Amino acid sequence: MARLNDDAQWIVLMGFLVSFSFFFLALVINQSTIVGQTTAESVIEFSKNDIRDIRDVIITNTTTSNLTVINNDITNISLSRKSAVVYYDNDFHFIHYYNGVTQYNERNWTV
Amino acid sequence: MVKNDNGQLYTIEGFAAGLIMVITAYLVVNATSVYTAGDTHINDMQLEALGSDALRMMDIPINASESDNRHSDLRTIIENSEYDTFKIKFLDYTNESGSGPGHDIQFNASYSCRDSSDNIQSVQMVNSRNLTGGEHAVRSTKWVIVDKECPGAGPSLRERAVLVEVLLWRD
Repeated sequence: MARLNDDAQWIVLMGFLVSFSFFFLALVINQSTIVGQTTAESVIEFSKNDIRDIRDVIITNTTTSNLTVINNDITNISLSRKSAVVYYDNDFHFIHYYNGVTQYNERNWTV
Repeated sequence: MVKNDNGQLYTIEGFAAGLIMVITAYLVVNATSVYTAGDTHINDMQLEALGSDALRMMDIPINASESDNRHSDLRTIIENSEYDTFKIKFLDYTNESGSGPGHDIQFNASYSCRDSSDNIQSVQMVNSRNLTGGEHAVRSTKWVIVDKECPGAGPSLRERAVLVEVLLWRD
């Protein structure tokens, strides 16, 4: 058997360390392509426009004669098309909006 | 131990050159960025906001003081089924047509209403191109009060709330 050569152990060890660190760096870079996916989805799902729009349609139609029918329209279509639970009373004291992520409640005592 | 302090300036110069090379490489690599899935919301949100703004502009009456007898464009379009008008105005508001630089935006518009048995019906209005299912579309919506019943329910008896939905995508 040839004589075991134990020269350059430090260099070999450093080589191992560098190659392992490259491996972990590659893992990090690999993950970076999907980082922010969930954030992006939650940003675009944020229902600011929905809440403003539904508040707008509720409050600007206080004078119409068939409030109950419109109330049912808004509640049913919201649930079906926007996956949002909407409740408001016809005296406009209370507006509730909840789409499973974002909740909005408004009380208006002065009306 | 040999104590040799020759070449100190050369060493400093070497370090300076090394730093310059590293900084240059850093700047060059950072000059461009990889478009990842996490960045898509920027374009999507812009498109969604553009659609919302266009729908909102269409739902503002010309003269608010006469709003009792002069309704918004959007309301008139739905009540009279003037869907070609919707297409013209929507493409104009999204800078797709008209003067100035145009976008490559396509849309598909429909509205949802509640019929007499509490079912939600979707009524196709108009599109600029048929949906194939492969589009990366965003949805903009707008609540509109209209004096029109769902299709098949006969003449209109009273004002109803409908939800106008527009799918928007870029070519």
